[in-house]
Amino acid sequence: MSFSLTGLKRLTLLWVATALAVSYIAQLQYDSWRRFGPPKIQTTYNIFIEPQPPNSETALLASFGAREFLADWYWLKTIQYYGGGDPYGKYRKLAELFDVVVTLSPKFLAAYQTGLIILPGEGFVEEAIALGKGGQRNLPDRWELPYYTGLVYHIYKKDYRAAAEQFTQAASLPGAPPIVQYFSGVYRNLANERQLAYEIFRTVAATSESDFIKERAAKYVLHLEVIFQLEDALKSYQARFKRLPDSFEALVAAGILGRVPQSPLGITLVLDRQTGAILETKR
Amino acid sequence: MVKVLWALTVNTFRETIRDKLLYSLVGFAALVIAASLLAGSVSLGQDVRVFQNFGLTAILVFQLVITLFIGTQLLSREIERKTALLVLSKPISREMFYLGKFLGLALTLTVTGVIMGLIFLILVFAKTGAVSPAALFAVIFIILEVWLLTAVGMLFGGMTSPLASAVYTFCLALIGHASTTIWILAQRSGSVVRGILEFIYYIFPNLEKFNLRNDVVFNLTPEPIQIGMALLYFTAYTSAILLIGLAIFRRHEF
Repeated sequence: MSFSLTGLKRLTLLWVATALAVSYIAQLQYDSWRRFGPPKIQTTYNIFIEPQPPNSETALLASFGAREFLADWYWLKTIQYYGGGDPYGKYRKLAELFDVVVTLSPKFLAAYQTGLIILPGEGFVEEAIALGKGGQRNLPDRWELPYYTGLVYHIYKKDYRAAAEQFTQAASLPGAPPIVQYFSGVYRNLANERQLAYEIFRTVAATSESDFIKERAAKYVLHLEVIFQLEDALKSYQARFKRLPDSFEALVAAGILGRVPQSPLGITLVLDRQTGAILETKR
Repeated sequence: MVKVLWALTVNTFRETIRDKLLYSLVGFAALVIAASLLAGSVSLGQDVRVFQNFGLTAILVFQLVITLFIGTQLLSREIERKTALLVLSKPISREMFYLGKFLGLALTLTVTGVIMGLIFLILVFAKTGAVSPAALFAVIFIILEVWLLTAVGMLFGGMTSPLASAVYTFCLALIGHASTTIWILAQRSGSVVRGILEFIYYIFPNLEKFNLRNDVVFNLTPEPIQIGMALLYFTAYTSAILLIGLAIFRRHEF
């Protein structure tokens, strides 16, 4: 059987070859733009996967009965988003995502706990408090929710009265460790806050069922230990030289510290040379 | 009469399980249920929860697909190819024929539902060391839901083309699962809109009555009264749809 290309077949082949060549060039261009080129508008790669969650009410109304499934869907999205880096120096959609998750699944305890731990650190303090209070309405028997909310009031709002109220509420619920009651009492006297925060995080690290929360709380414990170490070193420096050092490096130069300890949370610690206080600045 | 009905049921069952599409759907469903384990592995300690939600949703979706692609074609194919005439020329009434078709497909959906449900429950057991009654009830209620939708599919199948019938049944499935939303919207609306929405709520199949999937992760076993009312609703609504379908089929001219 002889095979000869007619004019039409030749034209078709030409079209196919051209189309394949163009698709190859397009792929090369795309890859070099997206994967191998410099970061676009000073962001990480994550900008391309920033989730766009719907309004939580809309998500609920459009769930077609698959509420828990959709809650898990957005839960996985939240985890991927948070784990993927912060494209704008801030996880802009984080609070919205948590809102969608708990609106779809109002009894999803781990979502509240995780939100209360990570949202305030990313600048969503009011959203975290709203999340915690929503959780308390939906899961009124869980001591963890007022406890974690109290933590937010203490650390980020410096509102000790509100924190004390939350701890008192937590202490009245079944399963609350005895130390929660202790915290509520101490808070009412507005005692040393960092020492208290240290105890609170130690409790969270010891009692949380979530490995992630445990790890996060353990990092806070280490972070506060770094601050305590620096505070002790500052006291030694003052006792020896009768004045405050210019920087933490002076503590190393004086032989009080082997090196300046770093926060495991990536928080920069700054010495206030007027008061001797250690200030925290995120990034 | 029972013998004839049984013969028609078994025959329909055999006809549907010979469909290669069914095997691929069940196989793919098994794969998706198992793959839900992977989704659970990246869920920050919520693996059991995510697996159960994804697995149950997969069972519902694949049962629905089987209903839409096989169930809606069953009657219209018989009408289109005139094979129904061969059966109806024998001493078999149209009622028997229609009911046999329904029960045959219901049997197929039960078998596929049981296969998917068993895979799901075995994996739940392997993961947690226990199977909650809530999960078992959720699977059973998914099977009931697709039985009802089969009756709906057959009703449309007797009136229109297989594709249109599949589309209509799918739309009714969506409306049925949006019943809670419809109710919420009705309560927020003015009297006229409220009346219309409440009419829609009561007249369309309320598939949320069979939705126990959201309770499984919290291990909430349905109460006997809930099961009883859902079964009563299923029986009454399915009977009504079957009777309407039958009335249309009785008047159908071949």
